[in-house]
Amino acid sequence: MGRKIYLSAAVFGALTLAAVATGAGTPGVTSTQIVIGGTTPLSGPASAYQSVAKGADAYFKYVNAHGGVNKRKIKYIYLDDGYDPSRTVDQTRELVQQDKVFAIFNSLGTEQNLATRPYLNAAKVPQLFVASGATTWGRDYKQYPWTIGYQPNYRAEGTIYGRYVAKTSPKSRIGVLYQNDDYGKDLLKGLKIGLGKKQKLIVSSQNYDVTDADVQSQVARLKAARVNALMLFATPKFAIQSYVYAKRLAWKPKVYVNAVSSAANIMGLATVGTNKKQTEGSLSVVFLKDPTDSHWAKDPGMKLYRSIMKRYKAGNPNDVYAVYGMSAAHTFVEALKKAGKNPTRESIMRAANHLNIHNDPFVLPGVAVQTGANDHFPLDQAKLERYHNGHWVTFGGLFRVR
Amino acid sequence: MRRGAGIGLWALTVVAGLALYAFLPHFVSDFHSRELASAGVFFIAIVGLNLVTGYTGQISLGHGALMAIGAYTTAALVVHEHWRDVWTIPLAGLAAGIVGFVIGLPALRLSGLYLALATFAFAVALPSLLRKFSGLTGGSEGLRFLESAPEQVTGLSGTVTVLGHTTTQNHFLYYLTWGIGIVGFGIAWLIVRGGLGRVFRSVRDSEIAASSVGVNLASAKTLAFALSGVYAGVAGSLLAIQKEIVSPLTFTFLLSITLLVGAVVGGLGSLPGMVVGAFFVQYLPDVSTRVSSAQGVPDFVYGAAIIAVMLTLPTGVGGLLRRLAKPLTTRLYTRP
Repeated sequence: MGRKIYLSAAVFGALTLAAVATGAGTPGVTSTQIVIGGTTPLSGPASAYQSVAKGADAYFKYVNAHGGVNKRKIKYIYLDDGYDPSRTVDQTRELVQQDKVFAIFNSLGTEQNLATRPYLNAAKVPQLFVASGATTWGRDYKQYPWTIGYQPNYRAEGTIYGRYVAKTSPKSRIGVLYQNDDYGKDLLKGLKIGLGKKQKLIVSSQNYDVTDADVQSQVARLKAARVNALMLFATPKFAIQSYVYAKRLAWKPKVYVNAVSSAANIMGLATVGTNKKQTEGSLSVVFLKDPTDSHWAKDPGMKLYRSIMKRYKAGNPNDVYAVYGMSAAHTFVEALKKAGKNPTRESIMRAANHLNIHNDPFVLPGVAVQTGANDHFPLDQAKLERYHNGHWVTFGGLFRVR
Repeated sequence: MRRGAGIGLWALTVVAGLALYAFLPHFVSDFHSRELASAGVFFIAIVGLNLVTGYTGQISLGHGALMAIGAYTTAALVVHEHWRDVWTIPLAGLAAGIVGFVIGLPALRLSGLYLALATFAFAVALPSLLRKFSGLTGGSEGLRFLESAPEQVTGLSGTVTVLGHTTTQNHFLYYLTWGIGIVGFGIAWLIVRGGLGRVFRSVRDSEIAASSVGVNLASAKTLAFALSGVYAGVAGSLLAIQKEIVSPLTFTFLLSITLLVGAVVGGLGSLPGMVVGAFFVQYLPDVSTRVSSAQGVPDFVYGAAIIAVMLTLPTGVGGLLRRLAKPLTTRLYTRP
């Protein structure tokens, strides 16, 4: 109880300070501009994820060129945190205290966003569309009403794999390679939920730390356990390594590779590092349109995506992370439109929690971006896909997972 | 007469330094004093690293891990035992000092690159250990003060009142960090110019010569590691207090490398250069992303900047200071 009183006093203090610092009105909002910010790893070991921020930035520039939202241009500042949560704290405080942003948007990483969530909620700064699939963003809405996630959560993804294996190959010997943190453990938990009574099928689970150099010994142990269905709950570098080491051991299990690492360019690298046979038949889930999938060559959404990427020089257009960033930016723009003529931090949170978007050009047809009083997971639909002949091919219907 | 001039110059430098410390926050924005406080953390750790690497000649690639010991000591005391954050600083220093003593033990048998590798192994292994004992350390998520023990965080309300003076939290962190930094610097200076400093330097320059004049190599090396561990621990503790979180991702071996870069740029075996070294490693990442945020470019700029500094200043900033001051000091100190 004492803690609660203290916290509310703190919140009050922070609020009065913020009010004094910015004068009247909502921070970051003027009649011509809305300033938002976020963190992303521009340097260091996880810098491949920066395309998320760059794709989003390109989309905002496109929207600004078409008049902005209610005549306001969106200015999106993304700062480098090198994937280090203590730097995320600094950069986020810089955005809030120095740049006086309206909201934090699309900051990347689970631990990174966990590190700033208490501060942002105490200061009542919206933490919008967190770029991480941890379940906590949507689940702990009551405790952290100023935070909302975006992508389908990892536990749900694991559940899809579990159900699929239990249904289609109930005699598998499942092996799991997972990253030793919330993200990896969430996927593993989901897998067990999906398997239900068939949890015994998991004969070996090995983990690695994100700072490890490689996963050679883990792959060898999984092979030794005579695994024939391999779950790769790993970030791109380690997923590629797993394919390579498996081939070196002349081992060809059926691979389920998590969406974080199933981007076509990652699979391309895995194929180059091994051969076509090694990656053939891998399974994953997908909720975005894959820019390398020829199926979408004439799709208006993908055409728009490619023209924006080219126009604003946002990097490699074959990078699915950029599509993800653009989708998140699209959702922010839609939320901003619904937040009223003069958006406030309260009104943008209300809008973010009452989304009903059916026209996102960057997600699979049929996928809706929806939230409501009891649903704080914007994206919760996905499709299964199979890697065939160097391309992903979707099959089956849309799963709704939570 | 000359001696008097020397003392006068020296006193002037100290007064200027203290004045800068006291008034700097008034010239920059509130948030920038928080950035300065972050640089202060590097400063304290680098001054400590300099004692063991610059003065005693023992290369340590494990100082990031010693900072982690300090940071996690503070975090565990705040989150589990509900200590007020600032009171944990001495204990964090002590804990890291003890661990520093222990990792100094291999230094008795290993030297040069072999010792560097042994300390490197410690830095590489520690994040995994932190994840393993998740009951104490919070595992991969780390520990977050604002969630678990908000009332122990100094300046939660945005302001801090010390002895009747009220300042913002950012200013408080600046004064706290650099206050401790200046005291630590003073102690290091006293050590370096005293008998112990001569012992350290003799170990660095020739172990055989040192032991033949009666220096106990074992105690000198372990003492250097323990002392420098205290600095790293205090720095780690301040880091945890500033960020209000600890996470294994902060204490990767890259942090150890960063500290060494700071010490080398500042100039091994020079204390004043450490200020520049600290600012170098604090601001270079931001500067390098500002050059261009295209993929791979910031890392390239970071590396290129270090190479450029080493090419132009092979002895670091400390060496440059010595060279600039040489005409003055030789005239002041050389007796006919």
